[in-house]
Amino acid sequence: MRWATLGRGRLYFLLLTLPAVLYVMAWRIAPALYTIWLSFTQYNIIYDPGPQWNHLENYRRLLHDSGLVQALRLSAIFALAATAIELVIGVGAAAFFDSDPPGRNLLLGLFLLPMVMAPVVVGTVWSALFDPTVGPVMYLFEVLKAPEFQWLASPLTAFLGLIVADAWEWTPLAALLLFAAMQAIPREQHEAARVDGASSFQLFWRVILPQITGMLVVAGGLRLMDAFLELDKVFVMTGGGPGTSTQLVSYYVYKQAFQAYELGYASTVITGLLALLTVMFAFYLRRYSRMLRSAAS
Amino acid sequence: MRTVAGPIETRHDRRDGASVAVRGRRRPPWSQIVGTALILGWTLPPFLYLVVLSVKPERLIAVRSALLFWPTFERYRELVITNLGLPIWNSLLTSITGALITVALASLAAVTFSYLDFRGKAALFLIMLLPRMFPPVTTLIPIHLAMKTFGLIDTRTGLILLFGAFQIPLAIWVMRTALAEVPRELAESAALDGASLPVIVARVVLPMAGPGLLAAFILAFIFNWNEFLFPLILTSFHAKTGSVAITSFSGGYKQLPWGPLAVLGVVMTMPVILFILAFRAALVRGFTAGALKG
Repeated sequence: MRWATLGRGRLYFLLLTLPAVLYVMAWRIAPALYTIWLSFTQYNIIYDPGPQWNHLENYRRLLHDSGLVQALRLSAIFALAATAIELVIGVGAAAFFDSDPPGRNLLLGLFLLPMVMAPVVVGTVWSALFDPTVGPVMYLFEVLKAPEFQWLASPLTAFLGLIVADAWEWTPLAALLLFAAMQAIPREQHEAARVDGASSFQLFWRVILPQITGMLVVAGGLRLMDAFLELDKVFVMTGGGPGTSTQLVSYYVYKQAFQAYELGYASTVITGLLALLTVMFAFYLRRYSRMLRSAAS
Repeated sequence: MRTVAGPIETRHDRRDGASVAVRGRRRPPWSQIVGTALILGWTLPPFLYLVVLSVKPERLIAVRSALLFWPTFERYRELVITNLGLPIWNSLLTSITGALITVALASLAAVTFSYLDFRGKAALFLIMLLPRMFPPVTTLIPIHLAMKTFGLIDTRTGLILLFGAFQIPLAIWVMRTALAEVPRELAESAALDGASLPVIVARVVLPMAGPGLLAAFILAFIFNWNEFLFPLILTSFHAKTGSVAITSFSGGYKQLPWGPLAVLGVVMTMPVILFILAFRAALVRGFTAGALKG
């Protein structure tokens, strides 16, 4: 149907679309723009009656914020480590599902459980596993006569614990995407490789892997972006601690906004973050756009 | 040699349906058995441990070597009568109502996007999808301020209004692919028979897209149900959702009440498990769509 030939029908279609458009504008786009405006203001919700324009003061503060730098570094390490693990295990799982095992669909459904369940429940599950009083991980340490310590209360192990939990939650997504890419490879190629005497390893390395690199880039980019902004599990498992050793950048923003009540400065951090992500996303698109197009087709 | 020949046979056999039964009876190669064990061993134990904790009697809960015991369901009964029932009820109510709003608005908008060509359509579609690209944290502070201004902090109404909006982009995406599968001829012949546009949409197009509507609803429900950040800052007591209730246990380094915590975690996962068992295919499609269009 074309707009020009609709006549009075135009109004009807307008009525169909407008509510959704306005709703999304009101709840998603307008708030994002307002955040950018707030980033130029001094607004502590306790002391200030309203947001007050303070030029680029917040941005000057942003550049000298060592806490933020630490949070950014932790987030970057967290995102890289978690994504790497997810892709490696994900490729393995996808190759397994691609071999068409018996009961594949049921197994795939079960496999998806961690990524569909609530992130806070994932956090609870892993807090329980690492807990010194009820958890099996520390019990195993005790049985093996290893030195006792509090897993989620020591800086390094708490950070590792977060990575493990994230890998458990999101490996299914990587596996699912890679599995879809593998399914798109014509079966004739498997057969041809087999006939030529390729081993399973060669088949995977020489035939399958080159054809799923596009999807590896997509899945990796997706997980990097999401893991960089991880908040829920930090909140449940470590609360950013001990100290600030697991304070990822989203948690830092949360603390600035809702514990220090510095809404203006928190907005500045968010805006800076958004700019950083946009730049990274643009680079990613430029670098991999050809790969992405081949993955989409 | 057998392992090499195996896959070729199965691929080949699948084409002619007669030999499918033969294939089903054959023993799977050892690599698939190991793979199945690995997948199950990776996915299930962490969650099952929470289930075990939730039914472990209170006096045994800190005895980590006790894995065999008579399960107690006392805590599940307590959940219904104590104040922990309220967050679950809040979660159910807000997630379902929010998902219904989402599906209603998104399906109507999707009809326009899939049936109508107009100038600026691509731009409008992009605007609808844009919110998926920037993280939700960007909208956190203004939404908090707006809710405060309208007096909607800690009310279920506030959460429902918010949940109605969040998944509209995803739902439009899901609905658009569903609507693309509805044959155009149906709408056109109904129009020739003299049906008006509202009747065509309500009686012909949307009923045909039933599975898409269901998929959009389930996805919106699950994302609402799992949402944490916004309920955390917008609710405190009356409208607290399940995911916020879980975190309200964890306060610093004191001993956590693991029993009730585990029960809450298991209850929070129940609807998700039900949906996985019932609508796995729709979920897989929805989650991959949700991931890929970002």
